[in-house]
Amino acid sequence: MAEDDDFPSSSDPEGAGCYFSDQDDVLEETVLQGLEDGHEEDCQWSVSSVITKESLLAAQKEDLRKVMDLLSLREQHARTLLIHYRWDVERIFELLDQKGKERLFSEAGVTIIQHKDLDLSSSSDPVRCNVCFEDVSSSTVTKMDCGHDYCNDCWTEHFIVKINEGQSRRIRCIAPKCNAVCDESVVRNLVSARHPDIADRFDRFLLESYIEDNNKVKWCPSVPHCGNAIRVEGDTDCEVECACGLQFCFNCLSQAHSPCSCLMWELWTRKCQDESETVNWITVNTKPCPKCHKPVEKNGGCNLVACICGQAFCWLCGGATGRDHTWSSISGHSCGRFKDDQEKRTERARRDLYRYMHYHNRYKAHTDSLKQESNLKETIQGKISISENKESKIKDYAWVTNGLNRLFRSRRVLSYSYPFAFYMFGDELFKEEMTTEERDLKQNLFEDQQQQLESNVEKLSMFLEKDFQDFSDDEVMDTMSHVINLSNVVDRLCKQMYKCIENDLLYPLQRATHNIAPYKSKGLERASELSLCWDSDRSMSVKTNPEDSCTQRNSTANGSGATLPGRYSVILHGSSSDESGCSSRKRPRTDTLGGAARFDLNMPAEVVDKS
Amino acid sequence: MLDVSRVQKELVECNRDKAISGVNITLHDGGSDLSHLSGTITGPVGTPYEGGTFRIDIRLSREIYSKDCTNLKEWNWSRLTFVEVLPSMGKCTEQELCAYPFEPPKMQFITKVWHPNISSQNGAICLDILKDQWSPALTLKTALLSLQALLSAPEPDDPQDAVVAQQYLRQYPTFVATARYWTEAFAKRTLVGIEEKVQKLVEMGFSEDLVRNTLESVNGDENLALEKLCSG
Repeated sequence: MAEDDDFPSSSDPEGAGCYFSDQDDVLEETVLQGLEDGHEEDCQWSVSSVITKESLLAAQKEDLRKVMDLLSLREQHARTLLIHYRWDVERIFELLDQKGKERLFSEAGVTIIQHKDLDLSSSSDPVRCNVCFEDVSSSTVTKMDCGHDYCNDCWTEHFIVKINEGQSRRIRCIAPKCNAVCDESVVRNLVSARHPDIADRFDRFLLESYIEDNNKVKWCPSVPHCGNAIRVEGDTDCEVECACGLQFCFNCLSQAHSPCSCLMWELWTRKCQDESETVNWITVNTKPCPKCHKPVEKNGGCNLVACICGQAFCWLCGGATGRDHTWSSISGHSCGRFKDDQEKRTERARRDLYRYMHYHNRYKAHTDSLKQESNLKETIQGKISISENKESKIKDYAWVTNGLNRLFRSRRVLSYSYPFAFYMFGDELFKEEMTTEERDLKQNLFEDQQQQLESNVEKLSMFLEKDFQDFSDDEVMDTMSHVINLSNVVDRLCKQMYKCIENDLLYPLQRATHNIAPYKSKGLERASELSLCWDSDRSMSVKTNPEDSCTQRNSTANGSGATLPGRYSVILHGSSSDESGCSSRKRPRTDTLGGAARFDLNMPAEVVDKS
Repeated sequence: MLDVSRVQKELVECNRDKAISGVNITLHDGGSDLSHLSGTITGPVGTPYEGGTFRIDIRLSREIYSKDCTNLKEWNWSRLTFVEVLPSMGKCTEQELCAYPFEPPKMQFITKVWHPNISSQNGAICLDILKDQWSPALTLKTALLSLQALLSAPEPDDPQDAVVAQQYLRQYPTFVATARYWTEAFAKRTLVGIEEKVQKLVEMGFSEDLVRNTLESVNGDENLALEKLCSG
């Protein structure tokens, strides 16, 4: 299912609003507006951005900068510190207050005491290296910030072993019990002289620390992997959409599953995998034997069924019976009469199964509808273009696509609301949390909302499937007002349902915490492109003189301090000259939020300095 | 690659003052392989190990690493993260890159020891400097000295042998007695002693070859050997 963001740019809220005279008018407008610019509104508190291979450096620049400025550190020391404290700048500042600079540094392996005798020792006397036990000339010896010196060959070997062990991010000094992390530039220089490939690897691991050692950044779980990572600022209990189009839950990395919590979703998918097809067949075709509880299939004949264990039972009620029967009755048995079932367990197992079936069927029905409706997208596009070319005073068909997107989103919510209800009101997770009365009450409350949502979603679906291209203007107007109205209602109902889940169902829970990704009225917002190089690539294709910008790119690259290898700088610096105008042509939604302003912070520090 | 010249220097250095340090390193079985050594340490005075001589098997890694790896990271589905693929796991040209002293030597007690941080079964040692705390600036001699220190100061909270550690913590006198007994039984045999035992057992009517093999298999314990010989 591809829920695309590409709304036609022609749609304007006022235009839609004027056909529509209701007291809901104001709300309508805001909703449509919301549909359009998609960036303010509900969940400001978690903003996601894509980190591509190229923007990885830029993404971490901001954090590095903050730490470098506050503690007046060199970049490599700031990086060591950040790696140790998992790129949590706030925590570093907090710990700075608590522990003081010295402990903060020493725990992370940062040594800033400069050994002044570094230059004095550079006489021509040979020095004994304490690793290879050779006497080497002092020019081939390197002293680390912590004051320990060894010959370059031994350092190099040490670095290579550590890099191969996957320790790139925290290569300690050779000296026993010395906690200092080795200067990354020394590592890079020494290793690249002998094994450039390993030095490259070292650099990449350092860069990727920002993703690997960071709670706020995760790799996109796409297969085959798109190469992107997503950064979330604010609440990390959210769902995100990667630039590659994959929507996933940032917390558990499986597909987006709100309003189910991650635990619920995990249990549900496992249950569905385990049971789906078999269980389907079993519930439809068999009844459990009252004695041995094996599922028994009725392969013909009358209602007296015999299990292989020898037990005879009535197919109608599932109760145990004797073996004598006539075509019309089983001797000693009448299931028309209500009797408290002795075999409660059988009953119970069956009820559980039916309960699961109930929720699963509805979940599946809506998921299937969603699949079918996504085909509708193309058909509707066709209908729109027919309509637009028609002799008619109605020219704006944005309401159709808007309505369709609303349908997709609410259908999704609806389908996931069933597994949610399965666990919310089942015994598996919250049995101890609610009394039966409470549970019934809550279940009624929830199901009322769910049913309302369900019927409105179906209605919306019905109106959207109409062949409005053949309609008269009046009929189109009528359909449109219905679609817009229903969209509103459905959106409101979704919001209400989430509110109910949050306030009435999950909030009172004492023991378990289930975090649920918030409802996004406008659908998941695709992670914004932090990657400045994206823009630069586009601007390259737009610009009339590509060579110009090429030279510009190179010159800035050369000018940079090159603390990290040139290739990263090249890509990033090139982008700094770009204006947001070019990118916004392709992505109309990004320019409304003033993306440039927000991304300024993420530009390479050097660029920020210059401007 | 194994730094041969360093190992040679270490051997010379170590054996210069072996009488004082109580630490001795030789090539294993008098062979010529510099990557397989055997060391001995004397039991520290004032411990249950006093008077014993403990043999330690030392292997220096010549691990094969490889270069020109293209596939360095792999998406791991169970952990949902990228894992570094060590070059040795990739399919690429192999090349000897690094080994001792950049990787820790592998050490194991050959002599049986009753100690919380040494396996009573196979002599495996639990000591941080032989693992992640190894530093290339340490030497075989310092490592063996650390083992000696370990004998005088056990760390029962980080045990290799849970049974011994429990005993150490709960029944200390029993622990001391057992450790002393093991030292007597396993760490004090001399070549002369062995010959005497062999002769004794041969006189009992067992063939010399069988006696030697059996004694070897029970680390020179005469009683155990006799038991074994009798049970056939």
